[in-house]
Amino acid sequence: MTFTKMGFAGNNDPSFIQPTVIATRDGGSAGSGAPSVPSKPSFLNSSASSNLASKRGIEDLDFYIGDEAVANSKTYALNYPIRHGQIDNWDHMERYWEQSIFKYLRCEPEDHSFLLTEPPLNPPENRENTAEIMFESFNVQGLYIAVQAVLALAASWTSSKVNEQTLTGTVIDSGDGVTHVIPVAEGYVIGSSIKSVPIAGRDLTSFVQNLLRERGENMIPAEDSLTVAQRIKEQYSYVCPDIVKEFKKYDQEGDKYFKKYEGVHSVTGKPYSVDVGFERFLAPEIFFNPEIASSDYLTPLPEVVDTVVQTSPIDVRRGLYKNIVLSGGSTMFENFGKRLQRDIKRIADTRIKRSEVLSGGKMHATPMEVNVISHKKQRYAVWFGGSLLASTGDFHSYCHTKAEYDEVGPSIARHNRVFGTVG
Amino acid sequence: MILLDYHNRIIEDTLKTRFNPENKPKPVDMSIVDFDGVSYHLSTLDDNDAKLNLSIRWKCWNELVQYGALDVLKREYSRWIIDPEHGYDFTLQFDLNDIGGDPEDVIRRVSLLKRNAMAAPFERAFDAQSLAEQEDHWDPSSSQLMTIHYRDGEAIYVQNQQDRVTVIFSTLFKEETDRVFAKVFLQEFVDARKKPHLQNAPQVIYSHREPPLEIRHVPGLLDSESQGYITFVLFPRNYAAGAVREETISRIQIFRDYLHYHIKCSKAYMHSRMRARVSDFLKVLNRAKPEIQASEKKLASGRTFRRA
Repeated sequence: MTFTKMGFAGNNDPSFIQPTVIATRDGGSAGSGAPSVPSKPSFLNSSASSNLASKRGIEDLDFYIGDEAVANSKTYALNYPIRHGQIDNWDHMERYWEQSIFKYLRCEPEDHSFLLTEPPLNPPENRENTAEIMFESFNVQGLYIAVQAVLALAASWTSSKVNEQTLTGTVIDSGDGVTHVIPVAEGYVIGSSIKSVPIAGRDLTSFVQNLLRERGENMIPAEDSLTVAQRIKEQYSYVCPDIVKEFKKYDQEGDKYFKKYEGVHSVTGKPYSVDVGFERFLAPEIFFNPEIASSDYLTPLPEVVDTVVQTSPIDVRRGLYKNIVLSGGSTMFENFGKRLQRDIKRIADTRIKRSEVLSGGKMHATPMEVNVISHKKQRYAVWFGGSLLASTGDFHSYCHTKAEYDEVGPSIARHNRVFGTVG
Repeated sequence: MILLDYHNRIIEDTLKTRFNPENKPKPVDMSIVDFDGVSYHLSTLDDNDAKLNLSIRWKCWNELVQYGALDVLKREYSRWIIDPEHGYDFTLQFDLNDIGGDPEDVIRRVSLLKRNAMAAPFERAFDAQSLAEQEDHWDPSSSQLMTIHYRDGEAIYVQNQQDRVTVIFSTLFKEETDRVFAKVFLQEFVDARKKPHLQNAPQVIYSHREPPLEIRHVPGLLDSESQGYITFVLFPRNYAAGAVREETISRIQIFRDYLHYHIKCSKAYMHSRMRARVSDFLKVLNRAKPEIQASEKKLASGRTFRRA
């Protein structure tokens, strides 16, 4: 499920974080993804009545978005306008934006410039459609469409570990559904080298859920089991340096490591408690040893990162190793960055050593600098990067304005002013 | 969602988490906007996270003060008013350890800050009218025309007369399409009033370019194609003291945003119909493709073969 994060430039956190879902009355289109054909207003068919209002319904205004949509899912049909990171149903998206702007953000779009983000490899047609809606429906003053990975890089500038503000680096973006590893060189996404890993927050949660179930934690009410697993994952999980040693530690000093999760039954209100054990370090471990959770995906994350860098152009590889930036909720585990850095460094060092040996000791490479950067704004890194960018003085000069749109048309959205090229 | 909310949702949400005693006070520094160019600044003091300041800035603030906004605000927020923060017009300060009232009620009231500030001229006009009604020989020259320049190029005019209060919005449309939509929309107001159950609704008059009589003498009115005027005629029954009055004030001041919101909604609706129509046409076009005829193919040598 995709989440929408919206808010105003210059703030530290988004004002609203809610699922990108819209609940409509018309229904039916939820499964197919094809837009349902809105009914023709009846005044086009008959001409008997006295005014338009009585002839036309207001079904197009009868919808909810976000959390309210989920709350009303019994009487309305839920639609997800974004699929796999890309807009799939423009009718629903347009109405989603309509309510986001007027009901949630409460701003007159004519008075504001908007920064939207797009996934890497978003087709330019989607960008054009977005510009069309933003400028023609909402008359926005200015529009800038930024690539998420680039904003995540910009967000890492707040970290004290970063001493130069560079737009070169590898972004590891892990949310709920999928994890992407995206190399960026001087603000350009190297599209051919992007890799995705089918392990993310949702898989970790269900892994924890399974562990609890297999161990026979039967105190957990069945209907709460997913939420409990999610809480345990968020509150207690961490990444360990060595899984065998960690098991040993738990065996020797159990009291120090085993925790108790206290919950309240959501229906009866009775309190219960759950033991939290090995899942504390096993859950995030599936990034590094996927075989413990799945049998069809077996490449560990550090290896994927290494492949991504190795398939990128040779002159940026050092830059990509040097600046590996984390973004998204599933990268928030304690010591996640440390472990990743250690593992990637190990792979890189082994490769260098081997080539030195192969050269017969004649060549010596400068050691590879590997840095994984964790920072405080990691969870909503993309949004925060956008907030930073939009609060700079130059932002308005990067935006496409309404006047320019009227002059050029939707194709203006293919052009990015920061780089001065068609992107 | 047909109507827009009157309160600011971000302020409501933020205060709800901040006022919850289970959450520890955390430093915050947030800027928020609202319709009509209002900006808020929500922040904690540098040395004390438990003190929360909410400041508001609005370009028509001085006009509102002139029409008695401070009295209304004192009535609503007396406990929390402090000297305005630098660069802002009005500031409230809350002590998270002692909010001073039922949190629910405080949050509701605070999230209506903009609405309450704007309520002053309306309340003043309603009161003046009810006084004038009791007089036998009312002097028309004593009626006051209150002007609130709440946006660039747009203003609200409020005037009390002996038996009614007139509210005039001047609107400026940046987009030709919007103006056309608005015209259709506003003509609907006139038509909709013919319905029997809407007989008591206030009269709405729309005039394009031509300013209504009440404000014709006001200097500096813009004379352009994109200018329109919407007049609401409110009679005492529309603002009977109590809930009706509060609702009327809330509703009338959000009118412009309501209008623009619905123009946008109508456009979105048109767009979805256009998209549906285009995909229908594409289906027809695809059906109309000529079928490829299965003609006999010959090789260079003259032999024929059959395709599998």
